[in-house]
Amino acid sequence: MSAPGSIPWLLAHELRLAWYGAAVNAGRKGGKGGKRRPGIVGIVLGIAVYVALHAIAFALLRKLDGGPLPEAVLAMPLAIVLAVCATFMLSSTLKSCVVAMFERGDLDLLLSSPLPSRSIFAVRLLGIAASTALPYWFLAGPFANMAVVFGHPGWLGLYVAVGACAMLMACAGMLLTLALVRVLGARRTRVMAQVVGAIAGALIFLLTQAYNLTRHDNDATPMLLALLNGSHRFGPDSALWLPGRAILGAPGPLLGALVLAALAFALTAGRTHRFFVHGLQQAAGSARVQARPAGALRFRFRASLFDTIVVKEWRLIARDPHLIAQVLLQLVYLVPLFVLIMRGNAAGPALGAGLTLLCSSLTGSLGWIVLSAEDAPDLLLAAPVPRRTLQLAKLAAAAMPPLLLVALPLVWLTVHAPVTGLLVAFTVTGAVLSAGLIVLWVGRPGLRSDFKARGKENFLCNMLELANSLCWGGLGWLLVALATQGETWTWKASAGTLAAALGILLLARLLRRRPL
Amino acid sequence: MTGDTPALRLSGLAKSFGRPAVDGLDLTVRRGELYALLGPNGAGKTTTLRMVTGLLAPDAGHVEVLGIDLARDPAGAKRGMAYLPDDPLLYGKLKPTEYLEFVAGLWGIRAQDAEPRARRLLDWLDLTKHAHELTEGFSRGMKQKLALAGALIHEPQLLILDEPLTGLDAAAARQVKDLLVSHVEGGGTVILTTHILEVAERLAQRIGIIRQGRLIAEGTLAELRERTQAGSLEDVFLHLTEGHAQ
Repeated sequence: MSAPGSIPWLLAHELRLAWYGAAVNAGRKGGKGGKRRPGIVGIVLGIAVYVALHAIAFALLRKLDGGPLPEAVLAMPLAIVLAVCATFMLSSTLKSCVVAMFERGDLDLLLSSPLPSRSIFAVRLLGIAASTALPYWFLAGPFANMAVVFGHPGWLGLYVAVGACAMLMACAGMLLTLALVRVLGARRTRVMAQVVGAIAGALIFLLTQAYNLTRHDNDATPMLLALLNGSHRFGPDSALWLPGRAILGAPGPLLGALVLAALAFALTAGRTHRFFVHGLQQAAGSARVQARPAGALRFRFRASLFDTIVVKEWRLIARDPHLIAQVLLQLVYLVPLFVLIMRGNAAGPALGAGLTLLCSSLTGSLGWIVLSAEDAPDLLLAAPVPRRTLQLAKLAAAAMPPLLLVALPLVWLTVHAPVTGLLVAFTVTGAVLSAGLIVLWVGRPGLRSDFKARGKENFLCNMLELANSLCWGGLGWLLVALATQGETWTWKASAGTLAAALGILLLARLLRRRPL
Repeated sequence: MTGDTPALRLSGLAKSFGRPAVDGLDLTVRRGELYALLGPNGAGKTTTLRMVTGLLAPDAGHVEVLGIDLARDPAGAKRGMAYLPDDPLLYGKLKPTEYLEFVAGLWGIRAQDAEPRARRLLDWLDLTKHAHELTEGFSRGMKQKLALAGALIHEPQLLILDEPLTGLDAAAARQVKDLLVSHVEGGGTVILTTHILEVAERLAQRIGIIRQGRLIAEGTLAELRERTQAGSLEDVFLHLTEGHAQ
């Protein structure tokens, strides 16, 4: 039993909170209904998935085990995968650091106690690193475990390498957040850190797309062969692949990873704990903006109820950094499509599908925020407002941003390839309207802070949204293929997909929640 | 709608959540009076108010607001009424000016009427200097005062408040009480629930006490004292609610 106030004691407290947090994430019943631990169903499901992953790992490794696959070569893809994971980890730790700083949780209680701020900060940093590493340990761990069965105990180094990587990213995320606080101030940091986190999460995607869009020969085989046979300057012996070797259990790289992570942790915790506390103090007052003299009051009362509601919804969206980050992340994935359009490769069916899918997904997200996550539903219910006007205005507030976003590329596309442009405009409009209506009909009230967990909250709505996106996205692909390639089978496929999309909408209508 | 029409008339109002929360409640509140609805925890006060304001559909009974049947013409009934729950209906990411713009828009108030009212209310409630801050950074008292400003921006004839003084400091509580008195003096009607019996004792012209969803006593303070032979409202309240419990 650790002494009260010690780092292990605080760590146990942090773990307990994480366990209860898992209960809340496992379902709102856990969060609101007083149940503090994940349900038996959640635990059994988790164990089942973990066992299944072991089975998959066993099958894959058995195939690999027979063939000649030197670990030096294997280290290369593993290092690349770890680098990709590192960008996701950085995105995740940035979000966790913002949450730690701005949502605080029990930090006010801890910091008002006589515990040293260094211990509190160190434990919070460890918590961020552990919660970041956990999903990767869960998903990749079975491969390391099964490798032991096949006589490769060194592969257990994966746990150390992933943990070290998570710790390095936690330190990088924390230092970046604190640096942003110092440079931009607490209020702007909240938005900026979310944006940086979103971009970090999509970094690999952006890099690969930039590579694809800037090179003109689409064959990367010669470069890959040169890498594998050692004639490339980044051959198997390159220091670039050390992380991969650490995963495979090479003692030197493994020790290096451990030392690097420990050093980063010690330096970050030891040198920046005071600034963390200072950042927390700044964050506490970040909601306030500079007071203006009384005479500077400015009102903009609007004549139309519709405008009043739309403006209010857009203001709330624009001021929520979490939501902006989520929406930006989706926009990041639109960039390569826009580039494709501008480069004149507009005829590709993938373009129709991509634009439609992304607009549908964006409308679903905005629709949930505007329709389901209303902060003051009682105010609207108590107001003498026709429900239809209210719903229409909210739908418009959710649908307009995606439509405006793709308006310019669509106009460009329509000018250069009129039939394709009009067909994509049709599928985009259909997808956007359907996504909004699905959220309106089967969406359940939720809190804005639960944006990321909305899929778990309302599985039915999430599935209908997904099916809707896929149907309209598929229709976008098929219609553009029909217009450009003219293959007859696409007629029937298009008709079937359109029927499926309308069927999903009808199903959502039939399953709609009864209003008051 | 005439001056004789009560501000609020409830007849046979009932709502059950497994067990009856409001059980055939009959209640009439006259225009131009401050009516305090008292009762122990779980007596059905908030449920009653939520049905009156259209937030909850009753299982049975009728609600008439300013002579308008809430079920038949909800928009008409809501137009002359404002509701301030114990948890203020605010948007953390809006500034007070924007919140008042929004509420005025919901009640369809013209800009030329809404703007001077908004300025006056913010000034009266000492919120002008905070008018450009997001409400998420406000204290409980500031939030409550802003919600009250929102409730008053359309100059409702009937103001319904659920525990309006909870969490307010002495100065803020005084401001809110003055505002309620002023509203009644201006011809408006106020219905409030409160656990602070001194407030009801000092402000209310009539008091209704409910228990287990039923009105067990009603009248002026003097009438209730006479009926129970008790001294203060606290004594009256305890006598009636505990008496019924036995």
